[in-house]
Amino acid sequence: MGAYLAKRLAASIVTAVLASVVVFLLVRSVPGDVVGQMLGQTSDPVAAKALREFFGLDQPVWQQYLGWLARVVTADFGTSWTRGQPVLGMVWSALGVTLQLAFVTLVVATSIGVPLGVVAGIYEGRWLDRLIQTFNLLGLAAPVFWIGLMLLVGVSAAFDWSPPLMYVSPAESLAENLSIMALPILSLALLQAAAYSQFVRQSVVSAFGQDYVRTAIAKGVPTRIVFFKHVLRNIAIPLITFMGLILIQILGGAVIIESLFALPGLGRLLLSSIETRDYPVLQAGLLVVVVIAMLVNLAVDLLYRIIDPRVRLS
Amino acid sequence: MSLSDCLGLMDRRAVLALGGTAAAAALVGPAGATDLYGPKPTGAKTGGTLNMGLLVEPPGLDPFHQAADARIRLTVLIYQGLFYESPDGQAMPLLAEGFDLSADRLVYTVRLRKGVKFHTGQAMTAKDVAYSYNYIRDPKNGSPGAGDFGMVQSVEAVDDATVKITISAPNAALPMTLGNKYGGVVPAGYFDAADAKTKLNQASVGTGPFKLAEFKPNSNATLVRNPDYWEPGVPYLDRINFVFVPNGASLLVGLRNKRVDIATLTRPQDVRQVEGVAGLVVERSPSFNQKAIDLGAELKPLDDERVRRAIALAVDKDEIMRASIGGLGKVIGTMVAGMQDSWGVPLDKLPNQKLDIEAARKLLAEAGHANGFDLTLTSIIGYDWMDAAAVTLREQLGKVGIRLTIQRVELGVWVKNFQSKQMGFTFNDWATVPDPNLLFYRHFHKAPEGADFRNWKNDEASRLLDEGRVENDPAKRREIYHRYQQVMATSVPTIMLFSADHVVVRNDKVRNYVQHPTGWYYGLARAWLA
Repeated sequence: MGAYLAKRLAASIVTAVLASVVVFLLVRSVPGDVVGQMLGQTSDPVAAKALREFFGLDQPVWQQYLGWLARVVTADFGTSWTRGQPVLGMVWSALGVTLQLAFVTLVVATSIGVPLGVVAGIYEGRWLDRLIQTFNLLGLAAPVFWIGLMLLVGVSAAFDWSPPLMYVSPAESLAENLSIMALPILSLALLQAAAYSQFVRQSVVSAFGQDYVRTAIAKGVPTRIVFFKHVLRNIAIPLITFMGLILIQILGGAVIIESLFALPGLGRLLLSSIETRDYPVLQAGLLVVVVIAMLVNLAVDLLYRIIDPRVRLS
Repeated sequence: MSLSDCLGLMDRRAVLALGGTAAAAALVGPAGATDLYGPKPTGAKTGGTLNMGLLVEPPGLDPFHQAADARIRLTVLIYQGLFYESPDGQAMPLLAEGFDLSADRLVYTVRLRKGVKFHTGQAMTAKDVAYSYNYIRDPKNGSPGAGDFGMVQSVEAVDDATVKITISAPNAALPMTLGNKYGGVVPAGYFDAADAKTKLNQASVGTGPFKLAEFKPNSNATLVRNPDYWEPGVPYLDRINFVFVPNGASLLVGLRNKRVDIATLTRPQDVRQVEGVAGLVVERSPSFNQKAIDLGAELKPLDDERVRRAIALAVDKDEIMRASIGGLGKVIGTMVAGMQDSWGVPLDKLPNQKLDIEAARKLLAEAGHANGFDLTLTSIIGYDWMDAAAVTLREQLGKVGIRLTIQRVELGVWVKNFQSKQMGFTFNDWATVPDPNLLFYRHFHKAPEGADFRNWKNDEASRLLDEGRVENDPAKRREIYHRYQQVMATSVPTIMLFSADHVVVRNDKVRNYVQHPTGWYYGLARAWLA
C-alpha cells in the first residue's frame, strides 16, 4: 500500500508538471493580454510596451514558464497583476468557499439521491419508481443555472427573502454562512441527486437480477437482509467511482453557481481572471483544479481497496 | 433629485465658460464647492453604511495604470485631480483654487487649495502635484493617461502652493484633462517603491472624501469616510460597501430584498422588473456613453465614403435602440446625449441621419455595388445590447443588399484589433468626459498626433480638431466643433447610434444621490441615509 501510494504520488507530480505546461500555454494562447485590458482601447504604444516589460511579457514564453516554475516550487505563486494581492492567498481563500460548496453539496446530494435510487430500484416498475424517475429526468434535464435562478427568484417572491450578497465564512458566523450557502448548495445538489438516484437505481435493479440474489430471495431471506448483505456491497464500488465523478462535476458547476449567487469561490475567481488576463492567478487556480482532480482520483482508488480488499492495487 | 433637476439648477451659461477660463490671464474664481460632486443637500444626516451593488467588478484600483471604467467609477471618490469634470462640461477647481494663464496661453500657473491632506495624513504640496503629473505623462511609466497628457511639456512646483504647467500649444481642454480619471495626485516619490502599484489595491493614498478600507476580489470593496477631508462636513456616509454581484438577476433580487441600497443597471431594460416595488425609487438620466458602429476604412469597400454614407442612410437608430435596450436611451447624431445641449449639432441639421433606403441604394450603385456586398459585423461577447442590435442591423442592411455576417469575439480579441487599427465593421461602446477635444481628438485625428483608429485620414477633420483644441473662446470653439461634426456626419467614419440612459435604482432611504453622466459615482460624496 505504501509503495503504491508513493508511486501514485510520484506519477501525480509528473502529471501536475505536464498539466502546468499545458495550462501555461493555454493561458498564453488566449488572444489579448493583461496590458490591453489595463490600458483600454486608446492606449499609448510606449505605455503598453513599458507595462509589457513590467509584467515580463516581453520575454519568450518558455522563459516566462521556467521563471514561473522556479518560483512555484518554492511556493511563491507571485502577485495578482490586476489586484495586487498575493496569488496564493487569493486562491486559498477562494478554494475554501468552493470546497465547502462541493463537499456539502456532495453530502446533500448523496443523502437525497442514494435513498431515492434504492427505493426506485426496489420498487422497479411501480408508481413510486416512476415518480422518482420523473424527478431524475427533470433534475438531469434542467441546467444548473436555471435551477439556481428559479430557486433565487422563487424564494424571493414567496418569502421576500434572498441570500446575503457578501460571503461570510462559517468561522465568522455559521448561521450567516448557512443562509448564504443554502440556495447554491440546493441548486447543485438537486441536479446531482437526480444523477445519483438514476445511477443507484440502475445498480440496484441490476444487482437484484443477479443469480445469487434471486436464489437468496427464493430461499426466503428477507429483502432487507438481501439488500444490505448482497446488493449494497455489490454497488458500493461503482458508487465510490461515481462519487468521485460527481465531485469533479460539482466543481465544474460551481463556476456557474458561484457567479449566480455572488460567492467568492475558485470558479468565479478563474472566470474573472480570464476576463482580465491575470495570468498568475489563472495559472495557480487551474493548477489547483488539476491537483484536486488527481487527489479525488487517488482517493477513489484507495477507497476501493478499503471497501473491497480483493481489489489489488498496482 | 434627478440629474436633470440638478442640471436645471446649474447656470447653463457656465457651460460656455469652459475654456473661457479663456483668453489671456483668465482667472478662475473661488472653488465652486457648492456644486462639486452634486448639489449640497439640505437636512442631511451623517453616518451609516450604504451598500451599493456593482455588476462589473473593478479589475484593480490603481488610478494610474488601470483604464477600466469599472475602476474609475470608484476611484474618483478616493483620488482627486486639480479639476473636477462637472456634468455640464465645466472644469471646476478641485485641488486647485484657480489658475492664471499666460498671454500666449502656454503656461498655467495653478494655485493649490490649502489644507489638503493625503489619506496618509501628510499635507499635499505642489511637489506632489508635479510628481504625479510628471509620472503620468511619461509613457515609460505605462499609464493609459499618458496620451491625454501628451501636450504637457513640463510640470514644476514654483513653491509649496503653486504649480506651473507648460504646454506645447494652446489647449482649451487641459483643465478637463487634469481631472480624476487619470489626473489623481499622490505623494511625491510614491512609485519609487517596487510594490507601489500593487499596494494601491490595499491602501489608498489619495485626497478624496473616502479612503479604501478593504478590497476583496469577487466579493467587495469597502470605502470609509476620510475624517481629514478638506471640505468640512463632507462626506455624509461613514462607509460605502461596494458589493460585486456578477449577474443582473441576483442584483434585482438583492434590491427588492434590501440587501442592496442602490445600484446602476447595465441593462437599462431590467428596470422593468423593479418598477413599482414599494420602497424603491428609479431614476433615469442622460449619459456620456455611446453605442456606435465603427467603419474601419482599412476594410474594403468601407474605404469608399459613398458606401459608408449608404450604410448610415440604411440604419434606423431608433429601431436598434428599442431592440437592444428597450428604448431607454437617446438616439444621437455625432455627440453623446449628456453633451448634446452644450456641444452637439441638432440631429436634423446633420446629413445622413435619417433613414432613406432609396438614397442608400443609389449611393451603393454609384460606388459599383448595385447588387450589394457581403460584410462581417464584429460584436463583443458579454455586451448584451450588441446581440439584439446585430440582428436588427442585419435586417436593416439587408434592405439595401448588404449581406451581414455576425461575428462575436471576446473583448480581448476586439481590443487587440482596435489598438492595431484593424477594426473593420464593428460595434463599439465607449464613454467620455465632458469635453469635445477629449471625445474626438485621439480617436479621429490623423496619426501621429491622433491615433485615428478607424483609418479615416481626413485632413479637414484633423484641421478642425486642431483648431478646436487651441481655441479658448467658448462660442468660437463651439462653432469649430459644430463644423467638425458636419464633416464627421458627412464622411461617416463612425455611426453613433444612441446613448443608453443611466438607470439608478435606490432604496428610498438613500437621499441626494445624483448620477454623474460619466457613470462615475461622484454623487456618493453627497449622498446620505435617512
